[in-house]
Amino acid sequence: MAKAFKYGLKGITGHLEPAERDLLRGLLDDVISMLESDVRENEDPLAALIGLDMDAKKPSDRALLRLLPNVMKDDDAGSLEFRQLTERSVRESKIGALKATALGLDKNDLVLTGEEAARWSMALNDVRLVLAERLDIRDEADADHIHSMQDWSQAEDVESYLALVYNFTTWLQESLVQSMISARQAQS
Amino acid sequence: MTPSVAYGTDIDQRTDTAQQTSTDVLTAPDIPWNLVIWNDPVNLMSYVSYVFQSYFGYSEAKSHKLMMEVHKKGRSIVAHGSKEQVEQHAVAMHGFGLWATVEKAASGNETPGKGGRQRG
Repeated sequence: MAKAFKYGLKGITGHLEPAERDLLRGLLDDVISMLESDVRENEDPLAALIGLDMDAKKPSDRALLRLLPNVMKDDDAGSLEFRQLTERSVRESKIGALKATALGLDKNDLVLTGEEAARWSMALNDVRLVLAERLDIRDEADADHIHSMQDWSQAEDVESYLALVYNFTTWLQESLVQSMISARQAQS
Repeated sequence: MTPSVAYGTDIDQRTDTAQQTSTDVLTAPDIPWNLVIWNDPVNLMSYVSYVFQSYFGYSEAKSHKLMMEVHKKGRSIVAHGSKEQVEQHAVAMHGFGLWATVEKAASGNETPGKGGRQRG
């Protein structure tokens, strides 16, 4: 069984079993491929160099839209312009955190530096945002309903399995963030 | 937002006493754009509060207050500044996975000063 992250003398430590690491790696890879999916190959190299993406458009996939939301509530044109200027860098920073986290899943006993923990928390958050869209979590009641599923013997279909995976990721992120808060308090 | 397991639900009971002292509130004409964070049922309350602390450098008390405002009112203005400044913050917030938008500061009911000023 996984052990919750905690902050102590060695820093932020946690423990994951091989099956749990495989599960997480799979989830991280899924989000990475979502974010990489429409990176174009034959694009203007100069534009790419300075982070522009004039072909960027509002994602049609809801999960991807949640990761890369419009920056203005009622201004699609303004949001699109902003997307063309910035979306590439948001994608790249997310992919960077997700890949670093996946690479860090190389052993059962985890010891994270502050920077690693920060990347892990972002990566786990993105995984949860994507799972939540797949589970159709729209409001707090939906979230409560999903959260009530804690028993792996309940995993009868894809949805209940996803719900349990979501709850596991939530639990892991919560313990990580609490550890990061403890680390912050210890340093101040 | 999703309540923090470790804190439990009584996190809502904390009051805002002694957290409202902001001496450097800017006046409306100086602050034409706001950074708004929207509530969602997924992001952990602890994580949102942590992001406010680590990115904006806000105190724990102030971060908690802003997080609770997002949670209870559905949105909160967490920073303000020039359009370029708040857009830069929005990129960072999207990186963290928070649902952020920018908007022109209207002369409406919401006072941007409540959200405090940004770092730097």
